[in-house]
Amino acid sequence: MTVVSHAFVGLGKAQARALGHPGLPLAVIPHPFGSRTRDEVRALAEQCVGEIAKLAAAK
Amino acid sequence: MSAAPLTRAMLVEAPDDLDELIEFFHARRWSDGLPIVPPTRERVERMLSCTTRKPDEVVANVAPGFGAATVERIAINAVMAGCRADYLPVLIAATEAMTAKEFNLQGIQATTNPVAVWLVVNGPIAEQLGVNGGMNCLGQGTVANATLGRALRLILQNLGGAIPGEMDRATHGQPGKFSFCCAENEAQSPWEALHVERGFKRDQSTVTVIGAAGTHNMNTHAKDADDLIRVIADTMAFPTSNDYWIAGEPWIIVSPEHAEVLHAGGLSKADVKRRLWEASKMSAGRMAKIELARTQTARSEELGPITTNTLLPVSRGPEDVGILVAGGPGTHSVYVASFGDARAVTREIV
Repeated sequence: MTVVSHAFVGLGKAQARALGHPGLPLAVIPHPFGSRTRDEVRALAEQCVGEIAKLAAAK
Repeated sequence: MSAAPLTRAMLVEAPDDLDELIEFFHARRWSDGLPIVPPTRERVERMLSCTTRKPDEVVANVAPGFGAATVERIAINAVMAGCRADYLPVLIAATEAMTAKEFNLQGIQATTNPVAVWLVVNGPIAEQLGVNGGMNCLGQGTVANATLGRALRLILQNLGGAIPGEMDRATHGQPGKFSFCCAENEAQSPWEALHVERGFKRDQSTVTVIGAAGTHNMNTHAKDADDLIRVIADTMAFPTSNDYWIAGEPWIIVSPEHAEVLHAGGLSKADVKRRLWEASKMSAGRMAKIELARTQTARSEELGPITTNTLLPVSRGPEDVGILVAGGPGTHSVYVASFGDARAVTREIV
C-alpha cells in the first residue's frame, strides 16, 4: 500500500498500474500537505493512522 | 514492472482530411496541443534509415509510466514533432540521457514544479543539423531547436505517460515544456566546451539533458569581471529557489559578450563557477520559515547546524554550477534555476 494526498490520487493509481500493481491500495490523506504546521500534520496523522494501518495489514 | 511484449508499432487508420487528422491526434492526447505531422509508415521508415539501431530495440523505459521507448517509437514522435530524419540519433541519445538514474526523471515528470527537460547539443553535429547556439537560440525560428525539443516533449508525454493534469502534476508548467533545445556557441566561447568539460573529445557530438525550472534574463552592461560576477550571483539568490533548500544544480547561460568580460578578467570556467558559488551564498533567514525547516532537514548533514544566519550555498560545490556559453550579440545572460533534485546527464550521439 502507499499513502497519497487527494490531489495525487490519479498519479498514484497510474503509477501503480505502470509498475504492475493495478490493485495497490491507496490511503488518501487531505491536500495540501506541505504547507501545514507540524501540529496540524500530527492531527492529520491521528485521523488517518487507523485507515493506513488497516490497509497495511490487509493481504 | 510489467513488461508488455514488444512488437513494431501498430498501424492505425486515421482520417485523410488534415483537419480531421489533427483532431484525431488531439482527441487521443497524442499531441502537445499543436498540430502534428502525420507519422505515416513512409515518414517513419525514412527516419529509421538514419540509424543503424533496430526499430524494436528498447532504448529505455520512460518514467513515470515506464513505456518502452523503442527506436521506432522515438522515430514516430520525432516525425510528429516535425523533425528532419537525420535528427533521430540526437533523440535516441537524449532518451538514454534523461532516463539515467541521476537525472531523476520520475521526479521531473510528476512534480508540481515547472520543470522542462532542456537539451544542449555540442560537437560537430550541432552545425551539421543546424542547431542554433547563437542569436535567439532559446526562441523561435530554428527548425532543429524547435522540433528536437518538441519531439522530446512528445516522448515524455506519449511514452512516459506524463499527460498534463494526470501524471504530469505541474502547477503551472512553463513554455519550455513545449520545446527547450539549443546548441552551445562553441565558436565564441573563450573556454572549453561543455562536452569537453564533461569528459568527451571536442570532435565528439553529445547531448546534455538538464532539469530546468525556467529562464531569467540578466541584462547588464558590466564591463569588469568582478562587477559581472557580483550581479549574476545576486540574481541567483532568491528565497523561493529550489536550489538553496535542496542543494541543486543551477545553470548560467553566459552570452559571448559576458563570457569575454569574464575571460578578459582572467577567469577560467572553473574560476567563474567558484566565484559565483561563493558570491551567491544566501542568508537562510530570507526563506519562509517552513522552507528554512525543510532546508535544515535536507542540508544539515552537508552544512552542519542551519540557523537564520547561515549563508547557504546554491549547490553542494562550485562544480555543480553549470556554465554554458550561448546566444548572440547583446549584454544579456540567462539564469536557469534548476529543479534541484536532479543532475544533468550527457550522452554521445552516435
